[in-house]
Amino acid sequence: MDVNKNSYTFGFAAIMVIVVAVILSGTSIILKDAQYSNVELEKKQNILRSVGVNVNRDQAAIEYPVYIKEELVLNHLGEIINNLSAFDVDLSKEVKKSIVEDDENIPLEERTSLLPLYISEVEGETKYIIPLRGKGLWGPIWGFISFNADLNTVFAAVFDHKAETPGLGAEINTSLFQNVFQGKTIFEKGEFVSIFVQKGGSNGDIHKVDGISGGTITSDGVTDMLNERLKRYLPYFRLMEDNREKNQEEEIRLTIEAVNIDEKRDSISNIGKREID
Amino acid sequence: MQDLANIFIKSIFIDNMVFAYFLGMCSYLAVSKTVKTSIGLGLAVVFVLGITVPVNYLLENYVLKEGALIWIGEEFKNVDLAFLSFIMFIAVIASMVQLVEMIVEKFSPTLYSSLGIFLPLIAVNCAILGASLFMKENDYASITEATVFGLGSGVGWFLAIVGIAAIREKIRYSNVPPALRGLGITFIITGLMGIAFMSFMGIKLDANNKIDNSLELYEDSSKEVNIDNNNINQKEENLQ
Amino acid sequence: MSEKEALFSKKNKKLITDPLDSNNPVTVQVLGICSALAITVQLKPAIVMAISTLFVLSVANVVISLMRKLIPSRIRIIVMLVVIATLVILVDQILKAYVYDVSKELSVFVGLIITNCIIMGRLEAFGMANGPWKSFLDGLGNSFGYAWILIAVAFFRELLGSGTLYGYPVLEEIGLYNLGYENNGMMILPPMALITVGIIIWIQRVKNKDLVESK
Repeated sequence: MDVNKNSYTFGFAAIMVIVVAVILSGTSIILKDAQYSNVELEKKQNILRSVGVNVNRDQAAIEYPVYIKEELVLNHLGEIINNLSAFDVDLSKEVKKSIVEDDENIPLEERTSLLPLYISEVEGETKYIIPLRGKGLWGPIWGFISFNADLNTVFAAVFDHKAETPGLGAEINTSLFQNVFQGKTIFEKGEFVSIFVQKGGSNGDIHKVDGISGGTITSDGVTDMLNERLKRYLPYFRLMEDNREKNQEEEIRLTIEAVNIDEKRDSISNIGKREID
Repeated sequence: MQDLANIFIKSIFIDNMVFAYFLGMCSYLAVSKTVKTSIGLGLAVVFVLGITVPVNYLLENYVLKEGALIWIGEEFKNVDLAFLSFIMFIAVIASMVQLVEMIVEKFSPTLYSSLGIFLPLIAVNCAILGASLFMKENDYASITEATVFGLGSGVGWFLAIVGIAAIREKIRYSNVPPALRGLGITFIITGLMGIAFMSFMGIKLDANNKIDNSLELYEDSSKEVNIDNNNINQKEENLQ
Repeated sequence: MSEKEALFSKKNKKLITDPLDSNNPVTVQVLGICSALAITVQLKPAIVMAISTLFVLSVANVVISLMRKLIPSRIRIIVMLVVIATLVILVDQILKAYVYDVSKELSVFVGLIITNCIIMGRLEAFGMANGPWKSFLDGLGNSFGYAWILIAVAFFRELLGSGTLYGYPVLEEIGLYNLGYENNGMMILPPMALITVGIIIWIQRVKNKDLVESK
């Protein structure tokens, strides 16, 4: 058989394509469930880590419902969309959607981007967890960042990547890089400033963290990711702040009413007293 | 036009495949013994890049990425074949390289034998695959932009390899220690050139023209709240 | 017909020992440079890469060697690439399902292994022209040659650049920082990897005069 004849070449190529396709898709189908459960557990593990709960992957399934109380999905106005769970939102698709709500050229389902939000309770305190996704140097980067109830101070952050350079950009998934986010704030005098991964060092700035030497592009990717994702939640932050202000205002009102009632009671009792005098 | 010129210059000098990203080093170091073979390989790389980047662009945007197959029919809107990008890009590159190999063998047997194994190695030259992967990341708006990027990357690589070949030819007349002659000193020189190129890293050519819609929305909603804030302040004053 | 050679005959042993020095894939054949620059910032990924390359190179070399008489010359580059890519993806998929943590370490390297010139280079230069056992040995030998260069470069880059070895803070332990040593940030960047390999080549050629290039 002449190995170099055209007909043989085509035949060989065709058979090779079929064999490879069968091997790869067969493997993919057989292993899909095992892989998916690993990925799911890892996601739960990361969400838990983002509020400081460190468990190994097997325990994640058990601890997850203990700490994570709500899995909300918001729209661009910060309103809760019913019947959707944050866990099912595929962020890699959501980040590609523009949120130009009035652009009629984009079909309606694609105009509204879904914003997942997890609410957890750790040691009696409420924490808000926002999932992140962005671009590193060689591929996607992602993570979770959690905030205290003031929706301003960072409680903890977790990052991960697919293909960043080991020792450089890949350092974003080490606790060394992640721990310094705790205590940083994203608002400066009411204005949203996000958090900067600063090349050369943060110098103690409350809105900056140290960048990674040699991993500038990945560090910039983290900065952009934080900025881009967090600003989508600003309408929700505003709504939460309104609620808080309204609650505070209600408290003030009730307190003042109570004081007025007390004063009235005092003056009535004093009238009584004066008459006796 | 301005955009295209920007992309071209950027990919040659600022995003130089060899000195900024250190891709394509194997062929770069091995073939740069003479300027003549370097020009030959450099041109081959420019050619391969000039064709594979636009072809992969079409592949990525009309077949592979999510919703790309929509031109066949509405039902294909959600098909996402992006996971095949890597292997499809490699297949396109390998076919192109096979083509180039046949052409070079026919038209210049001397070049073919002096390039030796490094001609088929263009297929795994990380610079070629890297260019296609960068093209995918950079999300160019049109095939012209992608082609300009591909050609620019190729020209950058070409300049790098011809440059180092010229230096190597000149350095043959210098007093390099015997054990360092040839390959050793080339590694060191390339390292030094890499350090020098780091000075280009801070230059930004493109202005970010994207309109920031979400920030506008935030500002709108905060305006509403400010009006309410005034009301609240008034109410508080009333209470006091 | 060639006579049957002993499994570990002198010639076969050379297939393993040559790439360690006189035919080293990185310093003599000039293959695998890109990964030698990217992976060697720390010891751990360098070792993971070395082991993965060992597996892929040996198995791919054997597969191609078994197929070599059937592959049409015109598409041989594509066939070799497909074999390499399929192997790497298979390994990655199996790891992802059963040893998830290892696969996370490896996922970064998948692309780097597929485009590693060493694998393609050896398949083309040896696997396509020799029998399976010899090809296997050639794969082993070249992987060892590649591995020791990776480990040597990573050793210096991690030690001088971050003060650690395999993550363990060595320089801190021996008190070098107190003497005024600061982590050499340059070592973490690719150009220094090039210079380190250049120095290794220098040392190698001083010892092995055959490799010195004539004027």
